[in-house]
This record gives sequence, C-alpha cells and structure tokens, in this order.
Amino acid sequence: MKRRALIAAALATLVAASLAASAGADTQAGARSEAAAVSCNGTINIGNLTVLTGPAAFLGQSQQSWAALAAKRVGAQLGLKARVIGYDTTLDPAVALTAAQRLVGNRSILAAIGPATSGGVAATSKTLRDASVVHVTPSATRTSLTKGGTPEATSYFYRVVADDSVQGTGQAKHAVERLNADKATVFDAQEPYSVGLANTIERALERRNVTVQRLSVSNNTTDFSSFVTRIAGDTDVVFTPFQVAANANQIAVLLKEQGKRAIVFGGDGTADPAFKVPGSYFSNFAPDLNGVAGKQAIINAWKRDNPERTLDPFGPPAYGAVQSILYAAKRACTGKRSIERVNIKRKMKAGAIPNWILGGNFRFSSKTNDPLNGGFWLFQIQPDGTARQVGRL
Amino acid sequence: MDYDQFFQTIVNSATLGSTYALIALGYTMVYGILKLLNFAHGDVFMVGAYVGFGVLTLFGGAIDPSISIWLVLLLMALAAMAACAVLGVVIERFAYRPLRDAPRIAPLISALGVSFFLSYSVQLLFGAEHRTYDSFNMAGGKLYEPAVTIGSFSISWLRVIGIVAALVLMLLLWLLVARTRIGKAMRATSIDRDAAAMMGIDIDRVIMFAFVLSGALAGAAGVLFALRTDVYPQMGFTPGLFAFTAAVIGGIGSIPGAMLGGFLLGTVEALTVTYLTQWIGIPVGLSNLVIFSLLIVFMLVRPQGILGRPDIKKV
Repeated sequence: MKRRALIAAALATLVAASLAASAGADTQAGARSEAAAVSCNGTINIGNLTVLTGPAAFLGQSQQSWAALAAKRVGAQLGLKARVIGYDTTLDPAVALTAAQRLVGNRSILAAIGPATSGGVAATSKTLRDASVVHVTPSATRTSLTKGGTPEATSYFYRVVADDSVQGTGQAKHAVERLNADKATVFDAQEPYSVGLANTIERALERRNVTVQRLSVSNNTTDFSSFVTRIAGDTDVVFTPFQVAANANQIAVLLKEQGKRAIVFGGDGTADPAFKVPGSYFSNFAPDLNGVAGKQAIINAWKRDNPERTLDPFGPPAYGAVQSILYAAKRACTGKRSIERVNIKRKMKAGAIPNWILGGNFRFSSKTNDPLNGGFWLFQIQPDGTARQVGRL
Repeated sequence: MDYDQFFQTIVNSATLGSTYALIALGYTMVYGILKLLNFAHGDVFMVGAYVGFGVLTLFGGAIDPSISIWLVLLLMALAAMAACAVLGVVIERFAYRPLRDAPRIAPLISALGVSFFLSYSVQLLFGAEHRTYDSFNMAGGKLYEPAVTIGSFSISWLRVIGIVAALVLMLLLWLLVARTRIGKAMRATSIDRDAAAMMGIDIDRVIMFAFVLSGALAGAAGVLFALRTDVYPQMGFTPGLFAFTAAVIGGIGSIPGAMLGGFLLGTVEALTVTYLTQWIGIPVGLSNLVIFSLLIVFMLVRPQGILGRPDIKKV
C-alpha cells in the first residue's frame, strides 16, 4: 500500500513537472511568434548574459546592477524606455550556450550585453550572430574574441573593455620596469581565459629577457602547496591569471609560508576581495570609479538602488555596454517607428558616445570591435587587505 | 640538489597524506563493515569545512575573535566532528539502511545521489563562492610562523598542527578499534556480519558507530584542510577521490592500510608535482596523469592493495 502511494506521488510529480514544462514552452513559443521589430516608443529589452550564480557571481550581480542603472538613466536621457533581463551563464560555457539560446528565442530582446567571460563568448557568439543579436561584453578580455579571424570573432560581437594583449603586455612591462623582475613564474588554470592571458604574459616577459617558468594547474586543484614548492626562491614575480581570486590568494599565502619573496600579480579575474595578501597586485579593465571626474552623481544613484552593495571596479563597464547599445538604438530609431536587431549592428560604430561611464567620450576602433585606446588599471593590495588603484597599464 | 625544496616536498607529502589518510579511514571503515563504497564521504568532509567556517564566523572571524583563537580552532574541529558524525548517521539511516539487502549496485547509486545532494544543497544554502578561514591572519599570523627550523628551511605551525592532529586522531582510532568492546565488535562484523549477529552483536549499532567515526574523522579533516585552502561546495571532490584511491591502495577494509595508503598517495602526489613531471618532461598540469598511471601499474601488480587480503574463492 505504502509503495503504491509512493508510485502515485512520483507519477503526480512527473505529470506536474511535464505540465509546468509545457507551459514554459508555450510562453517561449509565444515569444517566438511575436514580430521581430520593436517599437521605438515601446520598451527596448536588452539581455544580460552573465555569471549570476557560482564562484564569480559577485561579477555578474555587480554587472546586472550597473546595467539596470544604465537602462534607467541613459534610457531617460535618450528618450527611450529600456529594461535589462538577466540570463545566468555561470562560468560554464555549456550553460552559457543554453542561456544564449533562450535569449535568442525571446524575440522581444533587441540586443545583449555579455557574455561576461571569454569562454562564454567563444561558446555563444555563433548562436547570437545567427540570430543577428549584437552583444557587447563588459568584461571578456581574451584577445582572439575580436582579432585573428577566429570563429568566435563575429561582426556582432563588441566589447567596451581592452583585451588581454593590453593587459598581459602591461603586466609584463610593469613587472620588469617597476618591480625589476628578471625571473618570473606564470600560472595558468587550464581554461581559455587563463591560458590566453598566461600565454600573452609569458611572451611579453620573454621579449624582455625575463626567465619564465610556466606552471599549469587543473581547475580541480585544491591544494597548491607542491606547485608553490616548484617556484625558485629567487623568483621575483608570480603571475596568477585565474578566474577564482581565492586560488591566487592561496598561492600568495603559500609563497609567504615557504619563505619566498615573489610578488603575486593577478589578472582581472582576481579583482575580488578574496585576493587580499598585502603587496600583491591585480589589473582590471576599469578604474576605481571614485577617481573618475564627474561620476559622483552616477555613483550616488547606483548606491541608492543598491544600498547593500559596495562599489567595485568591474561593474561599471556593464553600464557602458548598455550605453553603447542604447545610443545605437537611438540612432537606428531616427526617422523610424520601429527597429529590428540588425539595425543595432548598423549603428554601433556610427559615432562617439558622450559622457562615457569611465570618463571622456567613447568610440569603437574602426579596425576591430574593441574600444579605441582601451586600457587596464593597476591595483595593489594594502596592509588592511583593501585594493588601491596605483596606475594604468 | 635544492635541499629546501626537498624538505618542503616532504612536508607537503605529510600534510597531504595526513588529510588523505583521515578521509580514507572513513571509506575503509564503511567498506570493511558494509562492503559499501560511500561516495558521499568527500562531501561529508566538505560539510565539516563549512561547519568550521560557521563556528569561526560565530566567534567573530579570524582577525578579531571574541575568545582565544586557539579555543576557536578547537571548537571548530569539535563542532565539525560532531556535525559530520550526526550527518554520517543520518545518511546511513535514510540512504543506505533501507538498501542493505538490495543488490550492491543500489546503495552505490544511492551514495552518488547523496554526494550530489550534499554539494548542491550547500551551494543552494551558502552560494558557490570560495570562502576562507583567513588562517594567514589568525593569531596575528602566528600559524604561518616557523615552528621548526632546519638551516634555511622551516616548517610552519599550520603544518605541524595539521600533521600532529591527524596523527593523534589516527592513534585514537587505532586504540578504539584494537582495545575496546565496540572496536572488537566492528572487527568481528567486518570479518563476517552474519556470524557476528549470531554471536549477539548488535549489527545496526556497529554500522551506525562506523558512520559516526568516519563522519567525525572527515569533519576533522575538513577543518584541517580548509585551514590551508578554501571552502566551497565542490571542495570534497578531489580530496575525496584521492582518499578513496588511497584506501584502495592501502587495501580497502584495512585501517592501517588506509593510513599507509593516504601517506603514500600524498607522497606520490607531492613528488610528482615537484620532481617527476620535471624529470620526464611533461607539463606539471598533467601530474594526475602520471599519478594515476603509476597507480594502474600498482593495482595490476597488487590488486588487493598493500595490506589487503586477496579475495580467496572456495569451490
């Protein structure tokens, strides 16, 4: 009797799940059947492919908050109604692809920001291109995403931050010229972002006659003790281009424990409070907004909307990504009552964007879909564990 | 020869090995008594690390705790051991006991299910971000100061505490199994469960006690390991896999075998990362390829493990 009741309950659960799934499918099918054109007087929906859960959720949640603020403020300035809809990619490219397919299926979405990670961009750019969805990343920095004729470098993909060729060469230059490094170790975490940036750093160091040791760690590595033991005591700098800041922090701690003097240098993936060993450096694709002239009103508006969050340097470019899409939408709407996805692409490079979130005016390069004169900013961990901006790479 | 590097490798071996041994003991005790591969054990280890983090947070964190940091560390370990012992009992009661007479594949699948249930439940409750005990800042950095110095080489307090605590726990376990009535009952049950029951041993109680012990050791290992690394929902996967391997190498079902296997695997791992990959000229990122290739060879030569007994089939 008890077993029958269990089977009945299991069947009821299955039926309920099937009904829920079919209801969801209906909603999506309904969305698909809508006209692709969006009224210039209606709401412009912008998808946000970002990391909303998992170890890098801090990045995605910050980006979502800044993107939502841009939709509200920039939309109002341009006379457009805009809304940002989040799609969780996690750090897994396969999940990113599924999220992109859902985004593409929602015909009310005109353009997108993201994906936030290089692996996510590589996995989704073809799907987004095939659906004519312009997508502007505020944080994916792998060089090949816009250069070198790789399959993921589509004409629909843009970014508002500089790429790893700027970051990697800048880090190497700083290590040699400011830290007097002549011996370095470069880690990679065996995933696309990390390997790409590590390769750039390694090449740039070797061009400057630095002796380089390359160490590759699996994503499943939990204890880095033996890897740190491999690093020679006279190594000057250890580069940790990881996506998990806590791993860079563990390496910095282990170096101290093993009595090694090397300074740890993380990439933009380690721009996180979890990386906090004093004296360490990291670079980021955006500056500390507090130091950018004329941005206090925007910071205050963001703080009003997000009273529980603290200002970080990786969220604001998401504001810029939405800025670039809304300016393209505004230009596309000139003399028209409605626009389609493809119209956004035609206007992405149509002119400069004033009042850029990171200061000055913004313009895309005429040669690639990268920002003209994009940069990286350098931060150093202070004795109290906080990061202070100390320059630009 | 870089002697500092060599001595550090020995210390790394002992630290890794002691963690693997503590976890491997849990695998081997449960297997010895139930003939069950408890794949959820790595996740019990992870829960232990989280419990330790909770206690640390409760007492104000690493930098400015409300009571002595040494007392906090002790409470972290005790709380993790207690919580994981209870968790072990709950897992046995609800996921394994109903399947005790089922085909052997059924509890195996149940164990995998419990493993995913635990890691994703923790992710749901606490998020997937990496947390840290911030041991670097505990007691004003005391844990990272040298406890032992030999020439230019030194061993930090953190390593000494980790290794000594693990050895003490292993000694206590050995005494418990070798010198107490319940230990004798455990040994009898592991040899022949039906015969032990006929002799009046309460099998359910013995099995439950094995889960209590394995959970407590995993909890302690979780705290000791997290002092050196990070805390996150998937942190149990790699140490769990290595500890399971250690239990098999030592001879699954054998308590001294699990200890030996743990230390042996820790040594092989540390030596491979530091030296062997260099000598044979392959990237250090492929160290697991070397480690597990060596283990395949070892298992081909001695399938029952170092201290395991060969499975004799009577005809």
